[in-house]
Amino acid sequence: MIEVLINSGLQLMLLLLVAPLLSGIIKTLKARLQTRRGPGVLQSYRDIFKLLRKGMVVPETASWIFSAAPYVVFCTATLVGLMIPMTTTHAPLSLFGGVLAVIGLLALGRFFLALGGLDTGSSFGGLGSSREMTISAIAEPAMMLAIFTVALGANSTNLSEMAKIAVTQSWRFLAPSQMLAFAALFIVLIAETGRIPVDNPATHLELTMIHEAMVLEYSGPYLALIEWGSSIKQLVLMTLLVNTFFPFGLSSDWTLRTVGVGLAVYLAKMILLACMVVLVETANAKLRLFRVPELLMVAFILGALALISTFLF
Amino acid sequence: MTQPAFPLFEALRQKFGAQIQSLTADREDETYLTLNDPDIRPITNYLRGEFGARLVMVFAEDRRASEGVFFNYYVFDQKGSSRYLLVRTPIRPDDPSFPSLSAELPAVNWQEREIQDWFGLKAVEHPNPRRVALHDNWPDVHPLRKDFPLETVLPPFEGERHIYRPALGEGVFQVPVGPVHAGIIEPGHFNFAVAGEPILYLQLRMFYTHKGTEKLFEKLPIPKAVFLAESISGDSSFSHGTAFCQAIERAAQMEIPLRALVMRTILLELERLCNHVADIGAIATDVGFVIANAHASRLKEMLVMLNEQLTGSRLLRGMICVGGVRRGWNAVQRDTLCSTIDSFAREFQDLIGMIDSSESTRDRLEQTGVLKHEKARDLGIVGVAGRASGIDLDTRRDHPYAAYSRYSLRVPVYEAGDVWHRMQVRIEEVRDSISIIRKAVDESLKGEFCAPARAIPSDRCALGAVEGWRGEIIHWIRTGTDNHLERCKIKDPSLNNWPALVEAVQGNIIADFPVINKSFNLSYSGTDR
Repeated sequence: MIEVLINSGLQLMLLLLVAPLLSGIIKTLKARLQTRRGPGVLQSYRDIFKLLRKGMVVPETASWIFSAAPYVVFCTATLVGLMIPMTTTHAPLSLFGGVLAVIGLLALGRFFLALGGLDTGSSFGGLGSSREMTISAIAEPAMMLAIFTVALGANSTNLSEMAKIAVTQSWRFLAPSQMLAFAALFIVLIAETGRIPVDNPATHLELTMIHEAMVLEYSGPYLALIEWGSSIKQLVLMTLLVNTFFPFGLSSDWTLRTVGVGLAVYLAKMILLACMVVLVETANAKLRLFRVPELLMVAFILGALALISTFLF
Repeated sequence: MTQPAFPLFEALRQKFGAQIQSLTADREDETYLTLNDPDIRPITNYLRGEFGARLVMVFAEDRRASEGVFFNYYVFDQKGSSRYLLVRTPIRPDDPSFPSLSAELPAVNWQEREIQDWFGLKAVEHPNPRRVALHDNWPDVHPLRKDFPLETVLPPFEGERHIYRPALGEGVFQVPVGPVHAGIIEPGHFNFAVAGEPILYLQLRMFYTHKGTEKLFEKLPIPKAVFLAESISGDSSFSHGTAFCQAIERAAQMEIPLRALVMRTILLELERLCNHVADIGAIATDVGFVIANAHASRLKEMLVMLNEQLTGSRLLRGMICVGGVRRGWNAVQRDTLCSTIDSFAREFQDLIGMIDSSESTRDRLEQTGVLKHEKARDLGIVGVAGRASGIDLDTRRDHPYAAYSRYSLRVPVYEAGDVWHRMQVRIEEVRDSISIIRKAVDESLKGEFCAPARAIPSDRCALGAVEGWRGEIIHWIRTGTDNHLERCKIKDPSLNNWPALVEAVQGNIIADFPVINKSFNLSYSGTDR
C-alpha cells in the first residue's frame, strides 16, 4: 500500500516537475543547433512561475468554456500521465483504464482546447481550432493503430500489463511490426506536440499557427496551465513512445535501487528521444498546411501495416 | 533651351503639335513636355502603344503662386533610352480635376488618389476614387497645397472610418490582420476574405505612418533635407539619400568626383547585400527553416559591422551628402572591406548550399504566391518582385548613375514569379553585388571624395533615380530660393509593389501569406511617407 502511494507520488512529481525541464532541454538543444545560446533549460519553469503571478485578460465574448479549457487540458494530461508506466512497470492509475482511456482523455483535452480557441470569437482562434481538428482527425486513428499493435503483442490493453510483458522481451522492438508502429507513433508525437514539420512552436506569425493560434487569447494563470499542460502532454507521449518500445530499465518489483536505476535509464532515454525530435525539427522546413494530412496518412498507413504484420510474423 | 533631335519627340510633335505648349531638355537625360490641357490620355496611349514606354510615376505640384495653375507630372521611361520624359499638364484652380488613367493603367491607382487627397484635384472617372493617403476620417484638407501651413493643427478626427468590401457567401469569413502586428514591423491592415484556408481576396490599407514627409521637405534647408531623405525608409536610407542628392546635384549641375561616385556605388551595393541576405534568412524562417536564418543573420551582422567601420553607422546613415560622400576611406578601411567581402562571399555560398539542399524548403517556396507577368506589367511592379515576374528593369543599367556604367551588370530575370524565384533574384544579385564591390574597391582611395560646396540655383527641376535593393527609388525636386526646396516628390518602390501582394496571394492558403509577404518585403514607411 505504502509502495503504491509512494509510487504515485513519485510519478506525479516527475510529471509536474520534469515536463517543463524537458521543454527547456528541447529548446536549448534547438538553440545550440541554430548557433544560438538559448535561454537555458530552466526557462520553462520561469515562464510558468511568471505567468502564474500575472493578471488575466478574458475576452468579453468568452463563456465558461474559455475558463474551463485550461483546467481540462491540464487535468487530462496529468491523468494520462498517471496511467502510463514511467520508471517501473506499474502505473499508478492502471486500474482505471488502458490505452483507450489514454487516447480518449487526450482527445478530451484537445476538444476543450479547440473549443476554448473558438469561444473567444477571434478569427485566429477559429483558424487554429479548425486546423487542429483536421490534423487530429488523422493523428488519432494512427496513434490507436500503433498502440493496438503493441497491445496485441501483450494480449492486453492495460499499459502496465503491456509493460510487464515488454520487459520480458527487451529486443522485441526489432520485430517489423514494432518498428512500423514506432515510426507511426513518432510521426504522431511530432503532430501532437506541435513541432516542425507539422507546426512551428516558435513562430510569431499568427496566420501560420496551429496550437499557438488556439491559445492566443489566453494570458496569465490560464496560459500557465495550458503551457504546463502541453509540456506534460509532450512528456507523456514521449514516455509512451520510449517505454512501450524500449522498456529497458523498467522493473516490475519496487525497491529503492530498481527505482533509481529505472529513473536514470528513463531520463537517458527521454533525452535521446528529445535529440531525435530536435534533429527532425532543425533539419526540416514546416510542411505546407495541406500536406500535413499527407504526412499523417503515412503515419496511419504505417500503423495499419504494423497491425497487419503482427499477424504475419 | 535646345530643341532635342530625338525620334520620339519628333513623332510627338507631329502627332500632338496642337496640344504641345513647349518641349525643353536642359539636360540630356530629362525632357519636359508641357501640354495645353489636362488630357494626357491620347499621349499616354501613344507612348505606351507605339514606343512601349512605361509610366513610371504620376505626381502633382502646386504652382498657383507663380504660374496660376496646378501641374500634374507624368514620368515616362522608354526601354533602351536613358532619358526620362516628363509630361506636364496644367490644371486650372477653377476646375480642379484631371482625367484618370487608372482604369487602363492600374499602376497609377494609388498615385492618382494621393493627388486627390493631398492637392484636392479630382481624378475624373477613377474606378475607385476613395481616400487612400489620408484616411477616411481626416477632415477635408489638402496638405500639399501651398496655402496649407505646415504648422496647422487639425482638430481630432471625427469622420467616418473606412468601410471594407464585405465578404459574403456561405462559409466565407473575414480575417482582419493588423494594423498592429506581432513582431517588430510597421503598421498596415490586411483584410482577408477566406473560404476555409484558401484566400478569396485581400484588401490592403496602408498610410498608417503618413508623416507628411513631402511637405516637410519644403521647410528644411537642403543639407538638412538629406537627413530627412535618409529616414524615408530605414532599410534603404543610403539609396534614398543618394536619390535625393543626385536630384540636387543635377539641378545644380555639379561635377561629382569619380572617387565619390565609386564609393557611392560600393555603399549602395553594401546596402543591397545586407537587405538581400536578411530577406533570404527571413523567407527561410517563415517556412520554419530557422537554421538558415541563424546563419543569414550572422552574415548580415558581418556586413553591418563593416558598414560601421566604413561610415560610422551600421545602417550607412550620415555618409551621403550633396556633392559626394562625407568621409573618405584609408587603406585600413579598404582592406577590411576586401577581407569582409571575401569571407562573406565564401559563407554566402554555404548558406545557399544549405537552402538548396533542403527539399522541404524548396517545396514550400515553389509555386507559392505566383505573380503573373501580365499582372506585374499592369501594376507597374518594379525591382526584385518585378524581375522575378519577367519585368526586365534595373535603374542601374537603364539609367546609369554613380559609377555603374564602369562595371558590367547582370540583371537576373525570371518568368515564374513565385516566392522561390523572388529569392533566386536576390541570390543572383548578392553574387553580382559582390563582384561589383570587388571591381570598384581599388578606385575608392584616390582623389577627392566631395565636390566643393556651391550655391544651388533656384527654380530648377531635376529627377534622381536609384535602384534601391527593393527597386526603383525616384526623387523629383524643384529648387526654391535660399537653399530650400519648392517641392520634393518621393517614390519608393513599395508604393508600386503593395498591390502586387493582392494578386500574388489569390488562390493561396492563408497560412502561406506571411512567406509571400516576406518575399516582397515592402516598406510601410516608404509607402506612407
